[in-house]
Amino acid sequence: MKNFRYIGKETSRPDAPDKAAGKAHYIHDLQRPGMLYGKIKFSDHPHARIKHIDTSKAERLSGVRAVITANNSPEVRFGFLRDNFALKKDKVRQYRDELAAVAAIDPDIAEEAIELIKVEYEPLPGLFSPHEAMKKGSPLIHETDSQGRPRTDNLVPLQYHHESGNLSAGKRAAKYMAQGEFSTPRVQQCCMGTAGCLAEFDMNSNLTIWAKTQIPFLAQRDFNRALSDMGLNDKNTRVIVPALGGGFGTGLDTHAYEYIAILLAFQTGRPVKIVYTRDEEFAYFSPRQSSTTKITQGCGQDGKLTFREVEVVQDNGAYTSWGATYPSVMMMPATSLYRVPSVYFNAQLVYTNNTYCQAMRGYGNPEHTWALESNMDELAGEAGIDPYDFRMINCNKPKETTPMGLKVSTCGLKECLQTVAKKLDWKKKSKKGKCRGKGMASLIHVGGGGRIYRSDASGLILKLDDFGNVNAYHGGVEMGQGLHSVLTLGIAEALGVRPEKVFINPLDTSTCPWDVGTHASRGAFMACNTAILAANKLRDRIFELSEELFPQEVEKNLEKFIKKNPGYKPPDFDFIKAAKRERFDLKDGSIFIKDAPREPWLSLDLGRLLRAIHFRTQGQMLATEVFYDPPNELPDFAKGFGNISSTYAYGTQGAEVEVDTETGEVKILRMVAAHDVGKVLNPPALKGQIYGALAQGIGYALYEELQSEKGKILNPNFRDYKIPTAQEMDFPVDLEFIETNDSFGPFGAKGVAEPGLVPTAPAIANAIYDAIGIRIRDLPITQEKILAALKKLKEAND
Amino acid sequence: MRRFDYFRPKSLKEALELKKTIAGAKFISGGTDLIVQIKNRELKPSALISLRFIPELATIEINGGARIGALVTISDILQHPELGHNYPVLTEAAKSLGSVQIRNVATIGGNLCNCSPCADMALPLLVLEAKVRLQSAKASREVPISKFFKGPGESCLASNEILTDILLNPPHNKAKATFLKKGRVKVDLAIASLALLLEMEGGICRKARIAAGSVAPIPLRLSKVETLLEGAAVSEDLVSKAQHLARETVSPITDVRATEKYRRQIVGVYVKRGLEKILGQSLA
Amino acid sequence: MKTEISFILNGLEVDVTVDGHLRLIDVLRNMMSLTGTKEGCGKGECGACTVIVDGRAVNSCLYPANEIEGKSVTTIEGLQMPEHKLSKIQQAFVDHGGIQCGFCTPGMIMSAKALLDSNPNPSDKEIREALQGNLCRCTGYVQIVEAVKRAARQLKSKQ
Repeated sequence: MKNFRYIGKETSRPDAPDKAAGKAHYIHDLQRPGMLYGKIKFSDHPHARIKHIDTSKAERLSGVRAVITANNSPEVRFGFLRDNFALKKDKVRQYRDELAAVAAIDPDIAEEAIELIKVEYEPLPGLFSPHEAMKKGSPLIHETDSQGRPRTDNLVPLQYHHESGNLSAGKRAAKYMAQGEFSTPRVQQCCMGTAGCLAEFDMNSNLTIWAKTQIPFLAQRDFNRALSDMGLNDKNTRVIVPALGGGFGTGLDTHAYEYIAILLAFQTGRPVKIVYTRDEEFAYFSPRQSSTTKITQGCGQDGKLTFREVEVVQDNGAYTSWGATYPSVMMMPATSLYRVPSVYFNAQLVYTNNTYCQAMRGYGNPEHTWALESNMDELAGEAGIDPYDFRMINCNKPKETTPMGLKVSTCGLKECLQTVAKKLDWKKKSKKGKCRGKGMASLIHVGGGGRIYRSDASGLILKLDDFGNVNAYHGGVEMGQGLHSVLTLGIAEALGVRPEKVFINPLDTSTCPWDVGTHASRGAFMACNTAILAANKLRDRIFELSEELFPQEVEKNLEKFIKKNPGYKPPDFDFIKAAKRERFDLKDGSIFIKDAPREPWLSLDLGRLLRAIHFRTQGQMLATEVFYDPPNELPDFAKGFGNISSTYAYGTQGAEVEVDTETGEVKILRMVAAHDVGKVLNPPALKGQIYGALAQGIGYALYEELQSEKGKILNPNFRDYKIPTAQEMDFPVDLEFIETNDSFGPFGAKGVAEPGLVPTAPAIANAIYDAIGIRIRDLPITQEKILAALKKLKEAND
Repeated sequence: MRRFDYFRPKSLKEALELKKTIAGAKFISGGTDLIVQIKNRELKPSALISLRFIPELATIEINGGARIGALVTISDILQHPELGHNYPVLTEAAKSLGSVQIRNVATIGGNLCNCSPCADMALPLLVLEAKVRLQSAKASREVPISKFFKGPGESCLASNEILTDILLNPPHNKAKATFLKKGRVKVDLAIASLALLLEMEGGICRKARIAAGSVAPIPLRLSKVETLLEGAAVSEDLVSKAQHLARETVSPITDVRATEKYRRQIVGVYVKRGLEKILGQSLA
Repeated sequence: MKTEISFILNGLEVDVTVDGHLRLIDVLRNMMSLTGTKEGCGKGECGACTVIVDGRAVNSCLYPANEIEGKSVTTIEGLQMPEHKLSKIQQAFVDHGGIQCGFCTPGMIMSAKALLDSNPNPSDKEIREALQGNLCRCTGYVQIVEAVKRAARQLKSKQ
């Protein structure tokens, strides 16, 4: 294995000192001269015709600079299926529909003005369950599609289907079967920094928007389209991404509030900032989709899976975001986690009058793995096989092609399973008297990009300056995950400079190369692949120029050196003859000849070389750009086939829990996580990704749920929506990284941002089952549900 | 946030005077509940009259019993060695209230005057049979804490009165008390909570005081359960009856935090666990 | 109604005129341009706005500005050492991976400082309790707790 100088070493993040000092600037901290504060009036009904909006009182309020509605502003359409509008004109389809917006000189006045807006509605019957909304004859949530064609049902027109092998043969071959219906709730991403943006037009009507986004370039496309809708043809948007305050999928779409800020900024001619309060974020921002999954699996006497049948129904909410493509990811574990010869998968998304949903870390995978890995334990139980052994029997292997056509390069699943079993003392059963139990669950996830758009590419520009500094311009978003940290290390390693000489520039669509977005755990994988490509290009150029300049500069070195060290005899080495491009190397900012004697004068500082070429006659400066589109395919999701990622990440997590059978409380005693990460790039950053994801997984498993009643969010605050604190995480977490050194991965690494939360909930559920014999199939596994199930079990036994 | 004026009187007299003259004014102590209610637009006061600049309201006095000023913060209570020694149930409850940041600002008087059914400090005070002193411009009265709460957000405090002190009887040397609280996570409003005080003599329960939170419109004394226990030997059978009675006595609601059913179950479990904790034996 | 208030901010005396409804966080962020203190929920649930008032960690989003009269306030900006250096606690967060998106970080560090000022040798449990009012969605707290432990050790060895 290659010896790395920076990759894999404990390194602190370049952005950490400013964050520790409170000097990182988030949307919340940005100010522009003349800036106004925008605020939105949301709907008071989940489904209603809008009869009249009275904004007169708000307009008269001192300090208000603009009040807009769909009636006095251009129609701006947006969304994955373009089924949403910045401001709603005819009808509202969810409680959070935007009806009007205000720009005022301070946030308090804006808030007061919103309270003065009165809306008359004609309520319509609401649909709050996807199963109900699917029924023929249900009231229509959207009467027409985005083209204006009439619609006849509430099904979202997206197809996710897969069939492989021979399902009926698989069923016939099954000696044991297990079936279960599993559900997952809407949960909130809970970025600590709430959503917001700042929009400003210049006098040429070009837009600059500071946005909390993970897709600056797709956002640029969306916003440019909105500018056209506003009659501003051929105008451009510049998207600038400040410190994010967390992403977790919330930035994969453009949002109504962004279009509203744009409309208000255009109308007032002043910069307009909209920042959601926490309550607004909970009630009026898109959470993770809820889903129900019906799964049946079967295995033979030998424990080998013979088939898997999956039906998913997802509550899309009232409009469609990129989150509607969750099934494209669900398909991956459904077809490819463990070896299964026959698979049936179908997913249907349904419009309802609930809040519309969007992406969240894992993107359908936690939802599906919840069902699959719970059901694996059920099937193991049916077959009388230990759940660990059962997983080992069906374990994926390197170099296999799965039923979906995923081309597995490296696969560390076996090692992950073994590690967890070992660390959890799997075969040593927990003390039953105390209601303790152990459980495990595994995962597969995209680890080499994830093509859900026609391009899955990222670019990088490297610009060298007179001082040997490397200025990097990259389109990936640092949202806290540590992208800038690994990009810095990747550039330093690949180019041969010290990390302190690498500067990652702020993300700005006007300076950075296009990038599809920071999602699908692709950030580090893509960034470091671009770093290697760009570094190689630069090194070629540097070594080419060194042929010419190295001898003359080293000659000067030698003269100086002899002056300082009289009597020095240089070794017998013809560096002029040796100065050939293929013989050069660059390390820590120093150019040298690989096979030359290590003499202090016999190397050239990169900065000096750069100055030498800059300031000679017809001088030049070095910069390079690369664009990397990984070797993967955009699957045909209606057929359920295609190699969506160039490599896949695997992992297994195990939990030991103790259940209080009188209160239903679950205490996690310890957790073990083993992840196939390809190669560890930066240990503290990687650990942070897994620890953090695990905490989210625990919240998902045990208490997180965005509750709603007839479309209204009931717990829009941290008082009622609980996420883990340091006290909830008070148990040992044993992490182990399996390094499979993937050939597609930069330095061997795979993407690992999402996997950490994917198997957490089923691992805990399986441990609870082991402890008390209770199988909860709907998340979260609250204390109440456990207690109710225990009671039911007791009644059945009595 | 909505605009309001802010006053910082230096004396009770001045505070009561301001309250009388400014329509729509509210008193503020720690404000950790009040400011949230204003943000939620549940309250729209024209002005807030702070009690934090009235020095005598923030003192603790040990005088055989104890007098705790209404403006004493929860952290102050936790850091007061004699209070902790004499009334450990009070510190148990104080520890469970909010987070560090909240406890550093929230006051015992504020916790009571907010009149939430889940008020953590109410339960130990109920089982300790504390009194509260209510002061108006003209008079002062002492009210047993069990008569203070009238409903969610409602107390017997008149609009021209300030709760100034909490008065505790001298600790009884045979009495032992404990506090139990169930949340979804550690820092949470109680789904259900319980304080229990017991005086035992020769295996017989001489006195029982039980109070439960989040299971009725007010922090509730479970008098029927107390009566059942008093004068009896605490047996497994009796405990089972007490649990049953506790579950029957309470009238919880279902909300986003828990169902009515679960709250009842927890009250029952906590009656048993409280007794077990005090008696140091298993009663399962 | 406006009130003049005087208080000590990061060691320096300041005077400001505030409206009744303003909170300490409004004074810090909007009037003093000290944006290191973050507003994560505005309701005292997340702790991103934590500052130290007279030695105690408080949520500046629930703290009426008027109440700051005569008190001493320390914000994250007040922790910075001369010559652009971070304090030991801040440096420990940097060194031990306790920072991801960074939005909770200033508040988290202020809670840690309040703890270590009063309890230089906290147990793991005490650290977790001291941070119970500070939500973090990125880190899972493991490296944060580690950072506070390291900071405690370093602060002690300095003495």
